Amino acid sequence: MEGYAVGVITLLAINCIAAMGVSLFTGFTGIFTLGHAGYMAIGAYTAAILTVEYGLHFIPAIIAGGILAMILAYLIGLPTLKLVGDYYAIVSLGLGEAIRLIIENWNSVTRGARGYPGIDGFTSMPVAVGFFVVLAVAMFFLVNSSYGRTFKACRDDYVAASLLGFNTAHYRNLSLAISGFYCGVSGALIAGYMSFIQPIMFDMAKSTELVSIVVFGGLGSMSGCLLGTTILTLVTELFRPISQYRMLIYGLVLVLVMVLRPEGIMGTNELTPSYLKKLFSRKKTGTAEEGAR
Amino acid sequence: METFIQQLINGLSLGSVYALIAVGYSLVYSVLLFSNFAHGGFLVIGGYICYYALRSGGANIWVASFAALIGAGISAIIVERLAYRPIRERTPITLYMLIASMGMSIVIENIFVVTVGGRFRALPPVIPTDPVNFLGLATTSAFDILSLVTAVVFLAGLQLFLVRTKWGLAIRAASYNLKTAGLMGVNVNRLISIVFFVAGLLAGVGGIFLSVRYTLYPQLGSMITTKAFVAAVIGGLGSLPGAVIGSIILGLAEMLTAGFISSQFRDLVVFGILIITLIVRPTGLFGKSVGEKV
Repeated sequence: MEGYAVGVITLLAINCIAAMGVSLFTGFTGIFTLGHAGYMAIGAYTAAILTVEYGLHFIPAIIAGGILAMILAYLIGLPTLKLVGDYYAIVSLGLGEAIRLIIENWNSVTRGARGYPGIDGFTSMPVAVGFFVVLAVAMFFLVNSSYGRTFKACRDDYVAASLLGFNTAHYRNLSLAISGFYCGVSGALIAGYMSFIQPIMFDMAKSTELVSIVVFGGLGSMSGCLLGTTILTLVTELFRPISQYRMLIYGLVLVLVMVLRPEGIMGTNELTPSYLKKLFSRKKTGTAEEGAR
Repeated sequence: METFIQQLINGLSLGSVYALIAVGYSLVYSVLLFSNFAHGGFLVIGGYICYYALRSGGANIWVASFAALIGAGISAIIVERLAYRPIRERTPITLYMLIASMGMSIVIENIFVVTVGGRFRALPPVIPTDPVNFLGLATTSAFDILSLVTAVVFLAGLQLFLVRTKWGLAIRAASYNLKTAGLMGVNVNRLISIVFFVAGLLAGVGGIFLSVRYTLYPQLGSMITTKAFVAAVIGGLGSLPGAVIGSIILGLAEMLTAGFISSQFRDLVVFGILIITLIVRPTGLFGKSVGEKV
């Protein structure tokens, strides 16, 4: 395979890992976040510092990045997940930016705003795809387990869920911690892929991108979120020759999807054989609009 | 002491400009209950209209600012018509409007990147910036005093509009319950257009002053709006006095940090204040309680 295709597939696997994390938190637990790029930054810097300064092998370094992001997410979630709706969205934005600003100003450890160079390019395509496959399988088992059903119960009606005896605060926090782990791993893989990281790579625009990918794919659909990531990553790659229009088209796609199909491309459906069968049988008898999906 | 008073005036002036933006944002939130992330776009539109009216149109500052305010207001109405109204009519879920507004903010920002380029532009020196001695206590710039006065005038105007006019009454009614206001004979679509026009106009005023303070570039909106959001949230979403007080707190915190600690830490202080306020008071200082009845 030629180098360009390998690069796109590696990037796709990395993006999918982060999108799965955000999808668990926003799509399944129903809490809107604008700060998950902060957890990616934690993962990226942890992996970079551990491999460059302590000579650790890259696999434990990546996992350490994910675990540190997970612990931080759990601690952050304890006081802040009491907030509901737009208030949590804004506080998560503040937290994400605060993480980035701390990294930017902590010169002695993170080398500040100029970035962290000289990371060994450990993320090859097999590494990224390997991590993606393991984490994706784990995620699909998680959302179909009793935990996954509890997350969905918290999303659909957390008052009813807590009346049924679920400790909703605990489950919300757990969901945030797991999504923090996924974003941390994804950030660590980015560090190995780019060989150079900079705080500005993990700013608010990156957080916004993560959420919009998840909403584009369909809130509450893990396969939809993977499909959405694939489409948006490929669209970004396709429009690279006319790069000044790239973000404009990206924004327009986002607005158009919200106006025309606000539930995202997949809605809450998973891409399973039975769903595909339903889709195609509907196509034979159904309207043109149904077929166009 | 002199530095303290100087930074106090700078902080009040910056805070009052944030207040213009935060109040518009809060106004939209109080009626539609969603965070309009495209609000910063109106500020940038106002700034660019003012810039081109002064540079290419040869207009004087009064005409240019008038055009900028009307332009920003009308663009806010257009954004509402194109992106939010179709969603609003279809579903009550405000999350979809939130995402659409993120998309709109990316679109507005990049329309400017594509058409006029991403470089920094300075407005011609139409607003005086020479130093002024303030009651013999401190020296500050005329620009700071002017932006403080302008913001106070516009905020007072908004208050008069909300209290004295029929549409102001309708807006206040809608901020309690939009649906009931509609049933009482208020033309909801026109009301929302008016709310967006007023919000856009105030953002336009803020845009002119901020582009003098920081120079004008397409991403100016997203940087400032984040601060204005933070201010509105600290004050309590949907509360106009809260938005003003939150903005003043932020403006002062930012300028005092810059003056006494280091200007690198000012954004960190801003977000720190946000997080602490929300942990102590989860609905902001003046927010309505959002608890759910079972």
